[in-house]
Amino acid sequence: MDIFGYIISLSFLAQVLRLFTPYYLGASAANFSERGGVINIAIEGFMITSAFCYALFAVLTGNVLLSLFLAVTINILFSLLYSAFTIKLKINQIVTGVGFNLLMAGLAKFIMMLIFRSSSNTPRIESLPHIPFIADMPGIGKVLADYIIIFTFLLVPISQYLIYKTKFGLRLRSAGENPAAAESLGVNVRNYKLYGVMLSGFLSALAGIWLASNQNSFSDGMIAGRGYIAIAAMIIGKWKPWNIFWACIMFAAFEAFEISLQISGINFPSQLLQMLPYLITVLVLIGFIGKTKPPAADGIPY
Amino acid sequence: MNSVELINISKHFGSLMANDGINLKVRDNSVHCIIGENGAGKSTLMKILFGIYRPDSGEIRVNGIPAHFRSAHDAIKLKIGMLHQHFMLVEDFSVIENVILGNELSKGITLDFDKSRQAITGLIEKYNLSLNPDSKVSDLNVSEKQKTELLKLLYRQSEIIIFDEPTAVLSPVEVGEFFKIITKFRDEGKTIIVITHKLKEVREIADDVTVLRRGKSVYSVNRESLDIDVLAKEIVGELEPATALQKINMGNNDIAVEIENIVLDKGGVRKLDGLNMKLRKGEVYGVCGVEGNGQGEIADLIFGLEKYSSGKFITFSDLISLIPDDRIEKGMIKEFSVGENVILKNKNINIISKNLIAKTTSEIVSKYDIRLSDYNAPLQSLSGGNQQKVIFAREIELDNDILVFAHPTRGVDINASAFIHSVIISERNKGKTVLLISSDLDEIFFLADRIGVLYKGKIVREFSSNELSSKSEEDVDVLLEKIGKLMIGITVEE
Repeated sequence: MDIFGYIISLSFLAQVLRLFTPYYLGASAANFSERGGVINIAIEGFMITSAFCYALFAVLTGNVLLSLFLAVTINILFSLLYSAFTIKLKINQIVTGVGFNLLMAGLAKFIMMLIFRSSSNTPRIESLPHIPFIADMPGIGKVLADYIIIFTFLLVPISQYLIYKTKFGLRLRSAGENPAAAESLGVNVRNYKLYGVMLSGFLSALAGIWLASNQNSFSDGMIAGRGYIAIAAMIIGKWKPWNIFWACIMFAAFEAFEISLQISGINFPSQLLQMLPYLITVLVLIGFIGKTKPPAADGIPY
Repeated sequence: MNSVELINISKHFGSLMANDGINLKVRDNSVHCIIGENGAGKSTLMKILFGIYRPDSGEIRVNGIPAHFRSAHDAIKLKIGMLHQHFMLVEDFSVIENVILGNELSKGITLDFDKSRQAITGLIEKYNLSLNPDSKVSDLNVSEKQKTELLKLLYRQSEIIIFDEPTAVLSPVEVGEFFKIITKFRDEGKTIIVITHKLKEVREIADDVTVLRRGKSVYSVNRESLDIDVLAKEIVGELEPATALQKINMGNNDIAVEIENIVLDKGGVRKLDGLNMKLRKGEVYGVCGVEGNGQGEIADLIFGLEKYSSGKFITFSDLISLIPDDRIEKGMIKEFSVGENVILKNKNINIISKNLIAKTTSEIVSKYDIRLSDYNAPLQSLSGGNQQKVIFAREIELDNDILVFAHPTRGVDINASAFIHSVIISERNKGKTVLLISSDLDEIFFLADRIGVLYKGKIVREFSSNELSSKSEEDVDVLLEKIGKLMIGITVEE
């Protein structure tokens, strides 16, 4: 296979778009939480929960839309639990996040073992429906005919607008920057932090559901650190929707390149290639984008 | 008619009676100063009036009607506004965003920035605040940040405005501007309450004065019968202010620090631009200037916190004490106790025991009259003046050769100021080299042997000890006026 010809081909672009989607949803999820001052390192765990719940209900009910609804609802409930720990009880956010991640990975395996007699994966499930007209378009129509992918692209300008141009965004940011000042002006800081974390639960649910739907099952380890890469993209993107968009595109492009190298059969250690996204994060952070500044009160319980 | 009446207000914290049956009447449409030493209960009383604290007993009446505040929000509803000593601003927001937060103007769910900008620009013009509503707060200087806080109150149409030591962070020129704004507020019918411990300010702006001493309201007087000497006595009570030490010249006035043509850039901005200074042993060198002209950088340069890009810097000793301009950020670890903060800078201590901390604390506390409820309490729980005393005590106790003090008495009451001044003079008399950076011209005049006026990163004029030794009051006034002009960049004909 001609690797360079492939990179400029439509199928490479389609691959980038597919990889981009969970990254951006996850990064945006992390961003809404952190803009309100709550570090959400549990994105990985949220994605596991929603992917698993979606696959579980899809197997049990055979109705993907109902499963989508249930998985989103459960994930938002989990985000409420996360809020209870971090906002109400003021438990350290990193500890809570890591705890959630470990718990969710283990719990998914445990329930799979109970129901399906296998701790590694669920039976095969149907994909989510496609958008009819776009799917018939030539080229990358098949990829774009996905409701969640289209939503993800719309999410970039929507978040930009929501964060910078609305009352909600102003108050959410004030809670993450200087909660004491916000409170003194009558802003209910805790509520806005809660909204941020709930949005985080909603968006990461879409990421997890999309992954399970695309893989037509849930398998142990399938999220594979995407939640962490999403957080790295948020940091590289300096907590700004458009910058995060480009960071996610960059990660997706490198990953697509890595996959195509593997397929092409060029003899190159795959472990080194898989290391690439993390290496890039480190390089980008030390060299190319200068100092990144999180919201001033990010991670501090209030 | 009284806008505010506080009747028999009491409030305790632990065993400390912060307010002990205080009575206060603030006339409608007046400037009412509340004066007292650090820890007299001024801030507590105002926080009660603003709904932040709830009194143990007593009654609050606003415009004659009894008020029960559960939070600051209730006070804001009655059009009471408070300008806190420490700013409550979102640094990453623009002035507009800071002002509208909590009371946003919207079109649907979209913020209406045009309308907000119009309203805020209107207020800026009306009160002559000279501020760009679109600038980011982190780019503003202290005085501009204070104006942003003022805008927040004006935008919410506060009628009763409480100022907690508003001039502590301002230079003399800015204080003048600020008083004009206050007077304008009063003239259009607002009621102003100012917490202060500066007698000079009371004389300048107060219509009425109430003195608090150790949690009690001890004295009230109006402008017509105001006598500054009586007021001073009421503030300190039975204690007499410490008598000032005499400066003694030891004769050995060798050069201790030599700064030649230093250029220093910070964040792409030229902070020091060809600075020349010579500091001598046994001498206090006073630097005065409007804040932000390089004062902080001089201190950091001498202490070795900042690198200069060109010029010559020689010091005969590297035993240097520093009181930085921003004591909370740079001078202390606010979560540490008094003892820990003091020990932190002592190079000879390696093993820290409970006993050592207790011993260090009790020494400092008694020698420098620091008031604290608990030896283990974090430094941030002390009042501002007492925090300053702790840092001052630590730096003096190190017994270093060179002392760099930025605003050593900022936020400190009369008694403690006099004490700090006498310690500075006695250190000078011991042959120490003192660099005094202050925006308080009286302080500089009182302490300095030589004065350098700092403007845009260089000393534009130096006054020798001969020039400063003129005794008559008129001479001093002429000199003061000259320095005031030099500070804002007006060249003075000699």
